[in-house]
Amino acid sequence: MSPADALFGAFSLPFMWRALVVMLVLSVIAGVVGVLVNLRSLEFITDGLTHAVFPGLAVGLAVGGASGVLPGAAVAALIGAVLLTWLMRSGIASDAGIAVVLTAAFSVGVIVVSKSDDYAGALETLLFGRVLTIPPSDVVPLVVVSAIALLLVALTAKQQVFRAFDAAGSRAAGNSAFALDLTLNVAVALVVVAGASTVGSLLVLALLVVPGAVARLLTGRLWLLFPLAGVFAALASWFGLAAGFAASVGAGIDLPAGSTIVAVFVVAYGVVLVGRLIRDAAVRRAQGRPTAPGEAKSSVAASGEGAA
Amino acid sequence: MSATAVLTFEGAAFTHPGGDGVSDLDFAIAPGEAVALIGPNGAGKSTLLRGVLGLVPLTRGRMTFGRRVAAGTEAGATGATGAAADGTHADRGMVGFLPQTMEFDVDFPISLEQVVMQGRYRRLGLLRWPGRADRAAVRHALETVGLTEFAAKRFGSLSGGQRQRGLLARALAADPSLLLLDEPFNGLDQPNRDALVATLRRLKAEGVAVLVSTHDLELAREVCDRVLLVNGRQTAFGPVSDALTLSNVQRCFEGVEVEIDEHTLVVPGHEGH
Repeated sequence: MSPADALFGAFSLPFMWRALVVMLVLSVIAGVVGVLVNLRSLEFITDGLTHAVFPGLAVGLAVGGASGVLPGAAVAALIGAVLLTWLMRSGIASDAGIAVVLTAAFSVGVIVVSKSDDYAGALETLLFGRVLTIPPSDVVPLVVVSAIALLLVALTAKQQVFRAFDAAGSRAAGNSAFALDLTLNVAVALVVVAGASTVGSLLVLALLVVPGAVARLLTGRLWLLFPLAGVFAALASWFGLAAGFAASVGAGIDLPAGSTIVAVFVVAYGVVLVGRLIRDAAVRRAQGRPTAPGEAKSSVAASGEGAA
Repeated sequence: MSATAVLTFEGAAFTHPGGDGVSDLDFAIAPGEAVALIGPNGAGKSTLLRGVLGLVPLTRGRMTFGRRVAAGTEAGATGATGAAADGTHADRGMVGFLPQTMEFDVDFPISLEQVVMQGRYRRLGLLRWPGRADRAAVRHALETVGLTEFAAKRFGSLSGGQRQRGLLARALAADPSLLLLDEPFNGLDQPNRDALVATLRRLKAEGVAVLVSTHDLELAREVCDRVLLVNGRQTAFGPVSDALTLSNVQRCFEGVEVEIDEHTLVVPGHEGH
């Protein structure tokens, strides 16, 4: 199979095309929301939300079958978002509090799933998603859920960045910290809901965290972070689906699609990180200083002392 | 009190949920007037400034800012109606605030002009994005503090004095009718201090009301028209020459040995200037 077949031809198959559309929408929105997760350093809270959604997925599946997964997840996500926002606000927030919530939620989910007839199959679907077997009827709800998340972030983006940079200043300017945190957490939770039924509830964290981190490595310009994260997420999702297809159909190696996509995200992050390190080293060599930019001042002072 | 005042307090008190705060506030600031807020550490200077911003509850009395009236919330307080406002969103006066310190991540990818633009957000509200007028206000604010050539620099890469001037520009970008400054002279070198004094003079001339907490009596004499002495409550308020007397200051800093001369208030254990 040629690279062109994998990258373009593969998507003439309806299930591949559907997977691509859903992954592009989801990953671009997750990337944009993820920039705020990165700027606020909310990675662990985001992890908490991915786990908090799990019992919702499980209950939804148990009650309504496959079509119950999305509503179940949405309810759990909203409860989780409110709970975590309240924990953050009350100061209990600490990592310990989040860790208790996320493990408790997860164990409840596993107990619910264990009561189903197809324990192993159901658990695998919920944890690792089913990006290639998304029912056509699920596409619109997934896109709608993602779009609401994007809208919440787009409407509050200025104030979210302000709060991320200077929490006290944002409050002094009349912004409600609780309202902003709740909005962001609900947006993250909705992305988790959409992601849980595609790449699975464990791997959706990568979609939320990696593109923002990549954008931070690529630029120091604030408003460029969002488009860069979105473009990175779109490309990585596309290549990930194509790579999984090429391996499965071309080489006969059966790779789970969701995990392959996430692997591409992480590998691409590694490539960008190495590129950034090489660039920084080149910049330092060009400046003739053996120190990082932040240390430049102290090294100048030290060499001045040496000369005296 | 004067109908033209920007900010008026009548028997007001701000109280933290923990119980401490600042009370007996009875003063007014007119447009173009600067008031020096003086008192020992822990006297409630920051509480008062944060109270004006709505970050500490007004528990007694009344505060009038522009056309907005807020009444104390404590049971039995005069006019305890919660917060009553007769101003609509559009005719809200703007407050600019320069905090004493700011915690932020020096690697945060934000430029100086983007930080200054945050001062416009309250005017813009949730939905609108900055336009031509906002960019002009940011340019003007940067010009006022003398940081025009640093506009595109990452905020974290600036020196301490430049960051503080940048935050002052953010407060000014709001085009405030009232400017609150919390110990703005702490840690400033002479050139930055002189620049700040010049900026405050210019703002007063433009009609901005200024409330500035400070240990620096020289500053109080240089740019302020009145002084407000607080120590858990208001102990004196009046024109600098009348209110800033040794006996008033000693009463305010009770239990602390105070020396006062033409320029400097010397309080042991204080970083006085």
